[in-house]
Amino acid sequence: MNALEVRELTKVYPEFTLDKVSFFVKQGHISGLIGRNGAGKSTTIKGILRLINAEGSVAVFGKDFLKEEMVVKQMIGYVGGGFRYYPMNTLAAIRKAYAPFYPTWNQSKYEKFLSQFELIENKKVKELSEGMKVKFALALALSHGAKLLIMDEPTSGLDPLSREEFCDIILQLVREEGVSVLFSTHITSDLMRIADDIIYITQGKILAACPLKELLCKYKLAHFSSLADASAVNAIGVKAVKEGYEGLLPRDMQISESIAVTDATIDNIIVHLEKENEEKKHVKSN
Amino acid sequence: MLNLIKKEIALCMHPTAFIFLFFAVLVFMPNYPYEVIFFFSCLSIFFCCMMTRENGDIAFSCALPVKKEHIPFAKMLVVFGLQCIILFLVGVIGAIKGAVLPAEQYVNQAGISANLVLVGNGAILLGIFNLIFFPCYFKKPDKIGVPFVIGAVVIFLLISVFIVLRWVTPLYSTTLNGLNSENTGAKSVALAIGIVIYAVLSAVSCKLSMKNFQRVDL
Repeated sequence: MNALEVRELTKVYPEFTLDKVSFFVKQGHISGLIGRNGAGKSTTIKGILRLINAEGSVAVFGKDFLKEEMVVKQMIGYVGGGFRYYPMNTLAAIRKAYAPFYPTWNQSKYEKFLSQFELIENKKVKELSEGMKVKFALALALSHGAKLLIMDEPTSGLDPLSREEFCDIILQLVREEGVSVLFSTHITSDLMRIADDIIYITQGKILAACPLKELLCKYKLAHFSSLADASAVNAIGVKAVKEGYEGLLPRDMQISESIAVTDATIDNIIVHLEKENEEKKHVKSN
Repeated sequence: MLNLIKKEIALCMHPTAFIFLFFAVLVFMPNYPYEVIFFFSCLSIFFCCMMTRENGDIAFSCALPVKKEHIPFAKMLVVFGLQCIILFLVGVIGAIKGAVLPAEQYVNQAGISANLVLVGNGAILLGIFNLIFFPCYFKKPDKIGVPFVIGAVVIFLLISVFIVLRWVTPLYSTTLNGLNSENTGAKSVALAIGIVIYAVLSAVSCKLSMKNFQRVDL
């Protein structure tokens, strides 16, 4: 059974459309929702959680979100990019207000997380660092036994060490607690560390939803000495670099030995696919 | 719902929501338009909504296992509770004033006396404020100023109407004015009318707010 199934999620704004977004998150997997700023990552997450009125269906562990909203929300832990709420209140006050909503709240588990994350409950939210805020949000989400963690750019604003620590925590949670994770980010190094699957969104549309390895195996990065060489092999998203040009090629494509190729990273794939998209859009508009 | 109400009280109440309840003692102030006391209650609602916005409370609440329409409902129930307390306090403290002060000092030269009719007038003011403020606020929870200004202007216009009525109509200046022990029946009817208007307007406001909030994108 999939932890999360999103089908044809659509939201139309005057200047942006989330266009029939469909994907799923496998149970026990970490799925990274990636895309550039404004691609629709946060809108997708808000649509899943029904924070916006979007069309389409969302199912969590087989239960339809709209039909069984209360049950589904009990299974979800939402971490909206740190903890931006109630800056003047103490962690204890927030926990006291939050815990009664969850019959499955486990106080000893919460205290264990507090001690593991070195959080002090009588501190105010505004006194926490960004990393601590993310940890507090995680502690709340996990202490009610959430089976699916949905996180909207949880690592934005964190320094590299805190991001590393965050990734370690998520990996530990997946291994020990068996939770499934969907998290949006534009920091691809985090994905390389922990993600099993990738959901790549651009301009409100899903461009790829597959295992991370599959995406990485799909393309290779080719280096060309001239634009004509790149055009000759129909390289994807060709762009000028310091020495010549770079573009993506399908990994199984046979090419001349004069073209140097290397493994493509997620960054390479995103940059060149975005470039290709922009060019197509430009041609279309002309 | 009970959990949402507890969360409201614990995390969203501005201190003025409770401090302004004590303004009920203003009924002891001689020659003062006592209906203004109810404006302070409206002002505290404005501060609470500001606090809700600054705390990101609505987004936080929407992620909780609650139905979306219950969020405005819980907020409004807490406000209705506070409004009922201020109405009650004004009634009780007004009655105490009537009991302890000589009758000539009880008469208010700036408006209606601190009697049951004042409570009825207050209920009408609060009901109308609820009807104006909440449906507008829950349409766009980030925009608090405009609904409050509209509500406050209407409240002050109505207060002016009540003051004018006190001076130009015999019903208000004689029958409904003065101690509760005089014309008690008429004053009780005025109070009952005020309470019914408050209940109806607040219920309509609640329904509209819940409907408007369903369409809000956070």
